[in-house]
Amino acid sequence: MSGQYAILPCNGLDKNAGPLARELALNLAAEAGGEIICPVLLNTAPSRYERATAEMPLLVIDGCSTRCATKLANRLGLKIGEKLLVTDGAKDAGVTVEEGLTPGPIGLALVARLAADFVAKAAPSVAQESPADFETPVEFITVTYDKYIFKIPAAGYFFNENDCWVRVIGDRARVGVSDYVQQSMTDITFFDPPRLGAEVSQFDDLGSIESAKAVMDVISPVSGKIVAVNSELVDRPEMINEDPYGKGWIAELEPQDFDSDKGLLLTGEEYSPIVKKKAAEAQH
Amino acid sequence: MPDDTFMGVKRERIPWFPTIDYSKCDFCMECDKFCPHRVFEHRESGPKLVVANPSNCVVFCRACSKTCGPDAISFPSKPGIITLIKNLREEGG
Repeated sequence: MSGQYAILPCNGLDKNAGPLARELALNLAAEAGGEIICPVLLNTAPSRYERATAEMPLLVIDGCSTRCATKLANRLGLKIGEKLLVTDGAKDAGVTVEEGLTPGPIGLALVARLAADFVAKAAPSVAQESPADFETPVEFITVTYDKYIFKIPAAGYFFNENDCWVRVIGDRARVGVSDYVQQSMTDITFFDPPRLGAEVSQFDDLGSIESAKAVMDVISPVSGKIVAVNSELVDRPEMINEDPYGKGWIAELEPQDFDSDKGLLLTGEEYSPIVKKKAAEAQH
Repeated sequence: MPDDTFMGVKRERIPWFPTIDYSKCDFCMECDKFCPHRVFEHRESGPKLVVANPSNCVVFCRACSKTCGPDAISFPSKPGIITLIKNLREEGG
């Protein structure tokens, strides 16, 4: 954890995860400093926290997947720097927390662990190995539907039906999402990066992206080890909108068996009719 | 959409769709509000929310479960589904 945060917990009172979000916020503020933002006051009087949110990156702590704190931050147009989700933390730790609304010993131990993990996390959580030389593609196929125009690289890219692409150069496979994804999600506001060094199978998740409209898991078209993550997206997720096949790439992997993976992937030409069909379905 | 396919396999042959645990669901309908594919539908009697159109669900998408506060939505395991898809492809979809 680098520096201090403005810490916005959901502070939900009617589910067991909410009070744990509050405990986690108190824990982090005690260990690392920063300022706690009361979600209720933020909602009523956002100007009260203008200074804190301008001076420090925002750490949002949600208890459960309703993600009220995230939604509040999005509604007020606050830029989210980091996010924690208590129920995900519990799942990752293999822990079932107590049912009641008062945190019990299991919940408190989980919170202490999540806080310690967050504080210990090396500052750039998405360190990047020098990526291989991937050039921006020049030739696109265009798919038009109604007023929409979707671009698809004509060659060198392979797609899965979950709208993610892979481009292999040498022993590196670069992965990202298609132009269809960025247009249908509209402005992408958050990038949750995958873990560097993780081994993934084809169709496993490679982190996720969020907009006001949707959350999308990035579904890996390729199996292998994650050797680079596009850390620039953490600060500028909008790069996915600006350049989905180039600067908006998500991660790079050392492919395990790309020839085998390729059997389940589509060329740009094969992917085009799928985009057209999805666009048509989205309209109706 | 009976002629729908995913990776060359008839969509209806791929059992990928959400399952609602009614002992946890609080019928907040966030999943339904979120899902653009009309997988869920409301009902007047019985459970107020059902998985009405499982074949509309995007294979490998689990986004609705991420909107679920009470964690009432589950999906099958991905490796099992991938193996099934591969086998069905060999059969010719």
